[in-house]
Amino acid sequence: MRAFLSLLNGPQTFGSSRGFWATAIAVFLVALLFPLVGDGYTVGNLAYFGVWVFMALGLSLIWGYGGMLSFGQTAFFGLAGYSYGVIAINLGANYGYPVLALFCALVIAAVLALVLGYFMIYGRITGVFVGIVTLSVTLTFATFLNQTAGPEWRIGRARLNGYNGMTRIPSLSIPWFDGDKITFRGPALYYLVLVLLVLCYLGLRIMVNSRFGNVLVAIRENPERAELLGYDIRRYQLVAFVVGSTLAGLSGVLYTAWGQFIVPAAMALPAAAMPIIWVAVGGRKDLTATLIGTLFVLWLFQTLIVISQQYALIVIGALLLVTILVMPGGYIVWVVENRDAIFNWRRHRAERLAESRAVASDGASE
Amino acid sequence: MTVLLETTNLSKHFGGLKAVDDLSLAVQEGELHCLIGPNGAGKSTFFRLILGRYPPTAGTVRFCGEDITQLHAAARIRRGISIKMQVPGVFAELPVRQNLVIALQYRFAEPELTREVDRLLALVDLTAETAKQAGQLAHGQKQWLEIAMAIGARPKLLLLDEPTAGMSPEETYKTGEMIVELNRNAMTVLVVEHDMAFVRQIARQVSVLHLGRLFAQGSIDQITDNEAVQEIYLGKGHHGH
Amino acid sequence: MQPTEIVAFVYQISDVFAFLVLAAAGLAIIFGMMGIINMAHGEFIAMGGYVTTYSYHAGAPLALAMLIGAVACGLFGVFLERTIVRRFYHRPIDSLVATWGISLIMTQGALLLLGSGAPGVGTPFGSVSFGGASFSVYRLVLVVVAVAVLVGLYLLFMKTRFGRHARATMQNAAMARALGVPVNKIYSITFGLGAALAGLAGGLYAPTMTLSPMMGTSFVIEAFVTVVAGGADILIGTPPAAVALAIIKATATAFYGQVYGVMSLLVAVCLVVRLMPDGFTGWLIRRRS
Repeated sequence: MRAFLSLLNGPQTFGSSRGFWATAIAVFLVALLFPLVGDGYTVGNLAYFGVWVFMALGLSLIWGYGGMLSFGQTAFFGLAGYSYGVIAINLGANYGYPVLALFCALVIAAVLALVLGYFMIYGRITGVFVGIVTLSVTLTFATFLNQTAGPEWRIGRARLNGYNGMTRIPSLSIPWFDGDKITFRGPALYYLVLVLLVLCYLGLRIMVNSRFGNVLVAIRENPERAELLGYDIRRYQLVAFVVGSTLAGLSGVLYTAWGQFIVPAAMALPAAAMPIIWVAVGGRKDLTATLIGTLFVLWLFQTLIVISQQYALIVIGALLLVTILVMPGGYIVWVVENRDAIFNWRRHRAERLAESRAVASDGASE
Repeated sequence: MTVLLETTNLSKHFGGLKAVDDLSLAVQEGELHCLIGPNGAGKSTFFRLILGRYPPTAGTVRFCGEDITQLHAAARIRRGISIKMQVPGVFAELPVRQNLVIALQYRFAEPELTREVDRLLALVDLTAETAKQAGQLAHGQKQWLEIAMAIGARPKLLLLDEPTAGMSPEETYKTGEMIVELNRNAMTVLVVEHDMAFVRQIARQVSVLHLGRLFAQGSIDQITDNEAVQEIYLGKGHHGH
Repeated sequence: MQPTEIVAFVYQISDVFAFLVLAAAGLAIIFGMMGIINMAHGEFIAMGGYVTTYSYHAGAPLALAMLIGAVACGLFGVFLERTIVRRFYHRPIDSLVATWGISLIMTQGALLLLGSGAPGVGTPFGSVSFGGASFSVYRLVLVVVAVAVLVGLYLLFMKTRFGRHARATMQNAAMARALGVPVNKIYSITFGLGAALAGLAGGLYAPTMTLSPMMGTSFVIEAFVTVVAGGADILIGTPPAAVALAIIKATATAFYGQVYGVMSLLVAVCLVVRLMPDGFTGWLIRRRS
């Protein structure tokens, strides 16, 4: 156990100091207590934000640590969401069936990620082709679901319902004592998301700092060299792909359970673009940077969408373009990597000045 | 002495080009064996076939008596073959220490892992640079880091593809000493080289490749005295096949 | 099979072949030259469709309107290449993200300024009957156009000075530059050409579909798949890839419908990449030697 906890800090993550963890714990406590003071709308909104973070963390693992740009996150998001909907509608909202639906949906997402990942990775599809193939899968999936409007498109009692999507999906609930049950809506869902988020975040930190993580980033840097050091690189990439895609599935299930509906538009453009933007802005190669960056872009998008959706997307698209042009590693990553130069720029400048003066006076005195 | 690595009728054809042609070579355990030959002789292709980067057109590769021709590269490395490529293949954005950790971690657990990493850093004079990004090392330092990565997992057979490329004469000499020392400590080494002074410094057995075939074998003196070998290097025209 | 069924099947395959070639040509040229995938490809197609339609409604004859559409897209492509795209030649994955951002801005900008639909253009030339089935003449014309595009590209790359320079740059840009080839200009022109071909595809198919800023999405999957299956060389790889994929898609569509047709392409491309990693280009080059 101690061995696991020691991996919370390591070469692949920022933030190892006591200051960092003290801040993190403080933030967690604030988050824990917030529903007691905050209004219902904000609590629900924060839960809504939290739902997307899993998908972002998953993409950080696949792209930032694994070096594969996958456009497939929203495909697994949608697939898991629909799976949850189908199973939950058919089994009903009682006896904890929705939780079973959640697990089954995640398993389905994982299995499909395994199949797609196997084809791509063992087929030696690399680089830009991963992006193309995953985007094609995502778009095909969305296009397919858009065509399922007729009543013949059903699985059991659940109608796929084409463009308008599946509705009246039961929320997550677990049976409680006295024949009662806890339904995860409002504050309950907020806590569920918060707990899952903390678990996933810590779990991912341990994963990327472990031996597995060491090899994964080595593969990202120089796949041929990693292979010639004795690592079957395809296996590592596949694991990263499956875990990252399943996290996207978790976002999908939580989103569906939050809103009790799922639509094909959640997978198609422009939704498919969003995970890329979240992860690129903060910094894909670090989990914490991704986390913060995602929340920021989500907040920004929500603020701008009041004007119009197109306007918000144009601004976000421009943000992506600017980021990839000038700060491809992400802003937060840049700040952390250059914090010495940034916070001590005055001192460095004085030092350089003194140095050049010393050299000049040396030269003058000769 | 046992045969560590043995290729039998190994061939690799790229369309019409016979890069390696019916090559049967054996490397005994404990040898410090140099592979020389003019440009295009097939030396690098030969290494890639040993490693499993691509399958041969014909022939087999045996390592420690086991037929590894169908094994893919990572599995062969795990069997005890290690390579240092011509171009420094370090993980540029990762720190020097991390490079070594990755090379060694499947062989050692803590605390041996840290001990071994420290030992190797001292061996190649990089203890002071352990936190530096590997890409920021000087060229010669990168080569040494990669040698350290190659020997760290204690391979049975070490392949070196032009290890002194781009090095200064001092660095070259030091590298030669390092290799001789490794061989004295029972590591079998197969080196591809162009620098004849370096070959003379380290080699005990020499094989000459020409047009993908084994042209001559012997000690370094036998090879340098061999007129046919001189001709293929100087291009005075070669005897027909 | 009845002769009518055979004819209908050949028609289907040719129709899909034309679609694949026209959808993929622009993407393939840019990929073949610079190794980057233009994620805004669909948006250039839509732009071509819009410019064509507006020009037509402004009075231009249809063929001219399509040309105007292609040229407009080409110029815009050159502009984008000069300002943004050229900074990404040494980092192809980031180029994916950058063109993705451009695509997002273009689509949403179009939605903002032009709304989600517009009056389209009717399909010209009517239809012709053969043995009880009717075939659109226009779509037969498109097959001819697709072949003409391939022939035109062949002539461009093989017989012109630009083509020589372009092929040299494709092989070894540094060497070409050292020999005096204006490599940066070649890149700009190539990107513009790719954008123009995308715009042409949009213009050619605009009369057959509803006009909307999202219309490019229906081309994008097919274009991607054809480029992946074709491999790096548009002249060697794309035609056979398009034929093979057309047969697969037409068969799947005939038996199972439109959506399964598209999905069959996806399955096909997975298999292609597994069996022929360099696409048709690699396979044909290997067979030749």
